[in-house]
Amino acid sequence: MRWSYILPRFAFLILVWAFFFFAFDPLLKWSLRKGMEKAAGAKVEIAKVETSFLHPSFRMTGVAVGSAQEEFTNTLEFSALEFRINGAPLLEKKFIIDEAALAGLKFGTPRKTSAKLPFVKEEESSFVAGLKEESKNMALGRAADMKSGAAASVEVSADSLSSAKVYQDLQAKYEAQYAELSKKADSKEYQARLDAIKTSYAEANAKADFLKKAKEFSKMRKDVKQLTEDFKNDRKLIEETAASLNEGLKTAEEARRRDIDAVMGKMKMPSMDAQSLARLLAGPAVADKTQSALKWLALVRKYMPENSQKKMLKAEAKRGRVISFPKEQAYPSFLIKKLAVSGELGLDVPLDIAGTIEGITTQPQIYGKPLTAALKGSKAGRALDFRALADNTGSVIKGNAQLRYSGIAVKELALGNPASVGASITGGTGRFEGALSFEGEKINGAADYRIAGAKVVPQAEAIQPAPLKAAVMRSMSGLTGVIIGAKISGTLANPDIALTTDLAEKLGGAFKDVFGAEYAKVRAQAQEKVDAALKPFKSKLDSLTGSRQKELKEKLDASQKNINGSGDALLNDLKEQASPAEGGKMKLPKLKF
Amino acid sequence: MNPLSIIRQFIKGLTSDTDPEQIGWGIALGFLIGLLPKATLTAQLLLVLLMALRVNIPMALLTMLAMLFLNPLMDKLTDPVGYYLLTSSALYPLWARLYNIPVVPWTGFNNTVVAGGLVVGLVLLAPVYLLGKKFGVAYNASLRDKLTGSKFIKGLKASWLLDWYFKGN
Repeated sequence: MRWSYILPRFAFLILVWAFFFFAFDPLLKWSLRKGMEKAAGAKVEIAKVETSFLHPSFRMTGVAVGSAQEEFTNTLEFSALEFRINGAPLLEKKFIIDEAALAGLKFGTPRKTSAKLPFVKEEESSFVAGLKEESKNMALGRAADMKSGAAASVEVSADSLSSAKVYQDLQAKYEAQYAELSKKADSKEYQARLDAIKTSYAEANAKADFLKKAKEFSKMRKDVKQLTEDFKNDRKLIEETAASLNEGLKTAEEARRRDIDAVMGKMKMPSMDAQSLARLLAGPAVADKTQSALKWLALVRKYMPENSQKKMLKAEAKRGRVISFPKEQAYPSFLIKKLAVSGELGLDVPLDIAGTIEGITTQPQIYGKPLTAALKGSKAGRALDFRALADNTGSVIKGNAQLRYSGIAVKELALGNPASVGASITGGTGRFEGALSFEGEKINGAADYRIAGAKVVPQAEAIQPAPLKAAVMRSMSGLTGVIIGAKISGTLANPDIALTTDLAEKLGGAFKDVFGAEYAKVRAQAQEKVDAALKPFKSKLDSLTGSRQKELKEKLDASQKNINGSGDALLNDLKEQASPAEGGKMKLPKLKF
Repeated sequence: MNPLSIIRQFIKGLTSDTDPEQIGWGIALGFLIGLLPKATLTAQLLLVLLMALRVNIPMALLTMLAMLFLNPLMDKLTDPVGYYLLTSSALYPLWARLYNIPVVPWTGFNNTVVAGGLVVGLVLLAPVYLLGKKFGVAYNASLRDKLTGSKFIKGLKASWLLDWYFKGN
């Protein structure tokens, strides 16, 4: 034995042990802090990290995650996170935790030091920036210009219209999809099946053994019926797909509305429809909350890969091939089976919340269960109920979340923009109900926030025309409640949000009272200009959809006629063969095959 | 194993542990390790065995280096052998059992090149040893003195860094 080789290795092992005993926890704490700072985009403090290797366990205490948006606020903090790691799976580099506990969870707590990280700039999504920008650019003071007739001089070209691009895209999409549907509607495939049945019929008819003949005829009858049924189903599918294409026109209509608003903007006219006013009033308040929600959703998506199955089944190694064998117990790389969560919501009068999150894993396909979360809390008229599910066990991640929170004390809520128009809401109680679902990149959700028993103070100091200012003040006076609604759709990267609020309707009413006739006239002018620029695109699309739908219908009708005719004739022949006319030679026994 | 340690073992091995048998085993073990992908527990354990045994290290290292260039060719032999063994229905219960034992999957036994490389390497171990032993005789007779007397080795031995490292260890 070469002891000069072996002894230094023993010394090295002792050094390794010393490293884990003395230096591992501080190093882990540092790397956890850096990792969390990267994810949060703000400073993170961790008081202590303790690990144990003999009975693998982890404990992290005093964690505060700063907010990237608000320098002196924590997004969240918790007093302790602790869990034990199962030993046997650890030998396979699998971190399996049966039960973990997260205690003392709080949101939005103040912090003494700045949470800003050097060189990190929080990037605002384009749609959130758009919402804020819309609110900023809405200048009601310009409303007085409507009477000046400046609108007529504005030129509108198709190149400047987003709806023209939508029409062009729709045209390309329709052409491709109609070509595909037309191919599907073709009767060739059905004709081939009919011909095959006819050939079988002729062959069977020539046979002498009537039992065999009867068996084959019975099968053919089923085949003909199946073929007719298949065509019926396909026709239904084709017609439904063709009808769904018209959904795209809604997008074009929405783009056209935005273009009209943009032209109104060019005419120095503010948009006064309920949707635009709702965006003006509720946009800034909703934008930040939406950005936070989308950021968390994106984080969940990031750590729940689209399809970890692909990774799991990767068979090619750098050299050679890896042959997998069945595992008696297959573990995901990381799994927390159950995380007990407890904490507080709200700062002034905290609401105790408690619940569980189950199935936190990096490989849901192996674990086979979705991630679920349930949090509840109630205290003195306040109640919170949160449920969420994220299922990544299939080929596409999908999930949903619902939040109901009632009895929210509204201290102060500012709506709108002080530079144009807004409202300050103080006191009262709020009730929030929201639901969000997602599938792959697609998201869909709706939320409703109702405030009652509050004091609503209009902010209209910036409005120049005195009659409009008075009308705005009048429209909001005496109000004690506000309803804000939001609907979100589109994709995670490119969400589309629609806002509604009863304040917007009241504001719109006030505006119409003062400038209604002039506004309608100017808007009609803007609409006329947009429609004139869009006319070639719209008529091209109309003629395309009209002609293609007609062509598709004719093709389907012809196919149906052919299938029905040939199919019925074949069925009649089969029927006659099975029960020939009186005096016929063959009467098949009634047998079930 | 750090680079200095490799150089140290290499130079030391040129003059010590140079019996033909030691050179033969060094080459044979180097050949076996050289056949396997290194990022597996099997290769690492064999390396530890190589370093722990009184065999000629420089020859083992040189053989491993030579195998790096030969491996694209050798893989064409070891991969199908490994595939045959790992997909053999008779051996399936053994593989499945091994696969379910903790730590064992880290040996990479279920990689076709590892399984095939081990089998081919073990089969060829004795012939390679015998050839290596013959080479050892030839090395001792003519090459050893030339190499140790070469300017390169002398220069390395004279360098202050290695001198310090040797004394320190």
